Amino acid sequence: MKRFFAVTLGILTAIGGFVDIGDLVANALVGSRFGMSLAWVVVVGVVGICLFAEMAGRVAAVSGRPVFDLVRERLGPRAGLLNLAASFGINLLTLAAEIGGAALALELATGIDYLLWVPAVGLVAWLVMWRVRFETMERVFGLAGLALVVFLVAFFALGPDYGELGHQLTHNPSDDGAATYWFYAVALLGAAMTPYEVFFFSSGGVEERWTRRDLGVMRANVFVGFPLGGLLSIAIAACAATVFLPRMIEVDTLGQMVLPAGLAFGQIGLALVVFGVFAATFGATLETALSSGYSISQYFGWQWGKYVRPREAARFHATLLVSTIVAVALILTTIDPIKVTEYSLVFSAAALPLTYLPVLMIANDPDYMGDRVNGRFSNTLGTAYMILLLVVAVAAVPLMLATKAGQ
Amino acid sequence: MRRVLVALLLVAGCASPAWNDADYGKKAGATAEAAASSVALVRLAVESEAKLTRPYLQTLLTETATALDSVDSQFGAVQPPSRRAAEVRAEITELTSEAAEQVQVLLNEVRLREIRDPERAAADLGDLADRLRAFAEEHPS
Repeated sequence: MKRFFAVTLGILTAIGGFVDIGDLVANALVGSRFGMSLAWVVVVGVVGICLFAEMAGRVAAVSGRPVFDLVRERLGPRAGLLNLAASFGINLLTLAAEIGGAALALELATGIDYLLWVPAVGLVAWLVMWRVRFETMERVFGLAGLALVVFLVAFFALGPDYGELGHQLTHNPSDDGAATYWFYAVALLGAAMTPYEVFFFSSGGVEERWTRRDLGVMRANVFVGFPLGGLLSIAIAACAATVFLPRMIEVDTLGQMVLPAGLAFGQIGLALVVFGVFAATFGATLETALSSGYSISQYFGWQWGKYVRPREAARFHATLLVSTIVAVALILTTIDPIKVTEYSLVFSAAALPLTYLPVLMIANDPDYMGDRVNGRFSNTLGTAYMILLLVVAVAAVPLMLATKAGQ
Repeated sequence: MRRVLVALLLVAGCASPAWNDADYGKKAGATAEAAASSVALVRLAVESEAKLTRPYLQTLLTETATALDSVDSQFGAVQPPSRRAAEVRAEITELTSEAAEQVQVLLNEVRLREIRDPERAAADLGDLADRLRAFAEEHPS
């Protein structure tokens, strides 16, 4: 019974923790412009993140070390440094976007300008990372993020035209050109397979001291929790396709994106969705900030993690603090957090192979994995995804330039 | 060198030039579409005003007012290449200014207490959105 609760709690946390500012922005924007015609990208992204997160979790459980701790050892310092530079830069951009998202959610709740909330969000995030236990932190914000289920319920309550939405699955209702369509497909894939998710999942496995006995729980989180989280992403797009597309409204702010919940359930729906957005973005703030600390510390071989006292992992905690300050400063320049999110998604997509190739390589290495190396199915699918991610990486920046970032 | 300088100034100004009337018309059409989208959104929110909280409505209207200002100033930075284009400019500027004004009035009402006459406001916004869409159709982007 205790095990059943542990599995259920893990799954619920995974669902609530799946959606972040990137998923919110990309799905609402795509739903309002392209209806459900890009829903297939979310499915491709969720299968991809499940595949690679399972590998990363397995590496952590079997070797007791997170994937990126092994990257430098396995690929050498130069390849490791390239990987670190790309992933750290994108992580920092994502961290800034998440802090901006949490501040925007607070603005929606209070009416007070989000810029005034930004330093407070950064400070509280740092305090939580400093003081709160890893498991507590992950559970609280993951479970609070479940409030976003209101999007799924709102979708049904809005009385959508199911026939029209079904038609959109195979027919793009937008007049925008093919380049714009594919630009948003790339951004959506970047949102579903954001690199920090794997850094965090893998390092989190070590923080929670996973062993081979935890493989079942880990797989349940990945194979049940992540797809249900993906369903929430599709619900966000479906709400936007139901409310905004028929009225030719293109959404580009967080305030607009949450409107469908308010239309469906009034002030309670609005309160729930704003709470869910705050929990999701604040939780992702913690995850991205920690991922910055993890990636730097693991590359340089410093003591890292919340499972040791801050004094014993001083450089890790200093990295968290500096990353948070830099991200707060970036948002305080008054740069639009939604624009930061859009760019972070495209750059994430461009760097996807750098994140996922090492995962595939190490999950195949018997020196680290013993009898738990990838099977034929994982390798075939993993290789197919690597080819896809390479194509996406090559296309991402040219598509962004050609479409003026999707305009 | 001069071309490089011109290109740099244009990039710095974040507004691409209009080379002829057709190009200017396309930009005007895109501006009308963006403004129509903002107005339609405000209309939707005003129609459901009773369901929404005041801080939320205030934030939504502030965002829209800012978006309309930005649309207006971006288009305003493009010089009309001919007298005909200047007429197009006057037409679209009148519509976008009306949109900005209507949203600003609603924002002030929300800041003070609540929207005085939501039904009438929604009807006015609907009419304005239709005129903006008609303009966008006349000048396809």
